[in-house]
Amino acid sequence: MSERRSTVVQLRNRSGLKPSKENVELMRRSKEVQTAITKALKDGPKTVPEIAKATGLSKDEIFWHLMTMHKYGVVEPDEKDEAGYFRYRLVEG
Amino acid sequence: MGVMDQILEKAVEEEEAVSYDVLVVGGGIAGESASLDLADMGFKVLLVEKEPSVGGKMYLLSKVFPTLDCASCISTPRMAAVSHHPNIILHTYSEVLEIRKLSESDFQARILVKPRFVEDDCTGCGQCEKVCPVVVPKEYDFGLRGRKAAYIPFDTAVPKKALIDLDHCIFCGQCERTCPVGAVNFLQVPKVVKVRVRAVLIATGYELFSIERKTEYGYGKFKNVITAMQMDRLLAPTRPFNAVLRPSDGKEPSSIAFVLCSGSRDRTLNNPICSQVCCMYSVKQAQLLMGALPLADVTIYYMDIRAFGKGFEEFYQQAKAMGAMFVKGRVAKIEETENDDLVLWYEDIENGGRISKAVHDLVVLSVGLKPNSEIVEVFKGEVLERDELGWIRSRDENVNPVETSIKGVFAAGCVLGPKDIPDTVLEAGAAAAQVAAYLNEVGV
Ligand SMILES: Cc1cc2nc3c(=O)[nH]c(=O)nc-3n(C[C@H](O)[C@H](O)[C@H](O)COP(=O)(O)OP(=O)(O)OC[C@H]3O[C@@H](n4cnc5c(N)ncnc54)[C@H](O)[C@@H]3O)c2cc1C
Repeated sequence: MSERRSTVVQLRNRSGLKPSKENVELMRRSKEVQTAITKALKDGPKTVPEIAKATGLSKDEIFWHLMTMHKYGVVEPDEKDEAGYFRYRLVEG
Repeated sequence: MGVMDQILEKAVEEEEAVSYDVLVVGGGIAGESASLDLADMGFKVLLVEKEPSVGGKMYLLSKVFPTLDCASCISTPRMAAVSHHPNIILHTYSEVLEIRKLSESDFQARILVKPRFVEDDCTGCGQCEKVCPVVVPKEYDFGLRGRKAAYIPFDTAVPKKALIDLDHCIFCGQCERTCPVGAVNFLQVPKVVKVRVRAVLIATGYELFSIERKTEYGYGKFKNVITAMQMDRLLAPTRPFNAVLRPSDGKEPSSIAFVLCSGSRDRTLNNPICSQVCCMYSVKQAQLLMGALPLADVTIYYMDIRAFGKGFEEFYQQAKAMGAMFVKGRVAKIEETENDDLVLWYEDIENGGRISKAVHDLVVLSVGLKPNSEIVEVFKGEVLERDELGWIRSRDENVNPVETSIKGVFAAGCVLGPKDIPDTVLEAGAAAAQVAAYLNEVGV
């Protein structure tokens, strides 16, 4: 690794900075929720209540992460059901 | 103390190098407009914005009342113009630490330029953002969805450059390894730039009233009670969800309530004044909602409708004609049901003032404005006066509205008091003219 490419290591060494427990937990939780959502959507598009049933996670947390995944192009909306819920599917590739 | 604060403590003080005619503080529509007017007149402007992009609140809005023009379409060209104008130097993600008046038309200012940990070579491709593993609430969407710790503020941010939010970073280095142009640099240091300016213009705008304080309304506790700013985001072309949906479960709402005067004209919250824009932005949002969700009911709970501007009364009548229901009565409290719907208890004034209740599946609090005037604290030697509610005090409301208690310091926009965008732009133009007159009067 060139010197230019290791500035994060230099910063860590220089200032003794460590990732905080809270930030590690944030990362762990978002990974856990997003992996569960991805897994639930593998067998076809689902609404938030359907994902909640499949994963056991709360609907608001699922929806928040789903919309974040939508921003980053991981999921996209499909058609809406009669109760007013969109189904979401994984973006191919 | 957060990681960023520790780093900012080690800011490097630079020697005073440059002078400008005017320091404009705040890059919302007021600061942008005034900067452009002054720069077009030939004055050298230093524009300082505390956020990582200029644009202020206007950029975040859906459309504007009463014309229903697209807010971001109007504001993006201005945002780009301030960053390209040869007479404007723009510092975003920067804070004014101190302004000291040395003598007439001679101010010394110290400005903290925070490190973005991303060099100017950044092309705004967003790859760092994709690989960053930490997700935190996105400020520009008022928390409705997440962003990464490495992020670009929004798609048309000015400058469109990434930054690393060190307070949420886990120092994994993924962003640095991924950046195709090697722009990520964790060794960037903050600097304090010292400048001399001949005049100062304060345009730091407003903040939303902290409606959590009205605990009866359950904001922050009930997921489907949102602020009007969040609703404006839901209706904007750059919206956080794929449609207007409720945050608790992603359902399309079928009955939406607006609660006017949330945090305004409320002595219990020590904010007795009218915020001037809430009636009209609620009428705007009601019309947009009826377009987006033709089957949904929209009900507006109000005390009085203040439709005082040009075309406002017609705009209000149009919302009624489209089917928005207006219920005269102050909402006393909001409760949540098992399926995340909301029960509103209100005084039904038109039916003898009896206590009534109604159920809705999404509630929008039409939250008032509060001043963003902490900037007064950076003035040393002379006092920049505020009124009893915290808005910057005009030297004379009638004949000198944009001059402040310090000669050579002017103000424009919502920092002087709540107002809409046309009035803000007018005031910015007036302030630019007054600054120009002052600079010409005092000479070089
Ligand atoms: C929900 C909602 C909807 C609205 N809809 C409409 C509408 O449809 N039509 C209409 O005309 N008006 C509308 N308004 C009002 C409109 O938002 C304001 O009129 C306008 O944004 C005021 O602009 P400003 O530049 O004065 O303030 P702001 O937009 O608040 O800009 C101030 C800028 O200063 C920066 N700043 C603050 N402090 C500092 C500091 N210390 N140092 C450096 N920078 C600083 C901020 O980051 C910001 O960029 C609405 C308001 C709300 C709340």
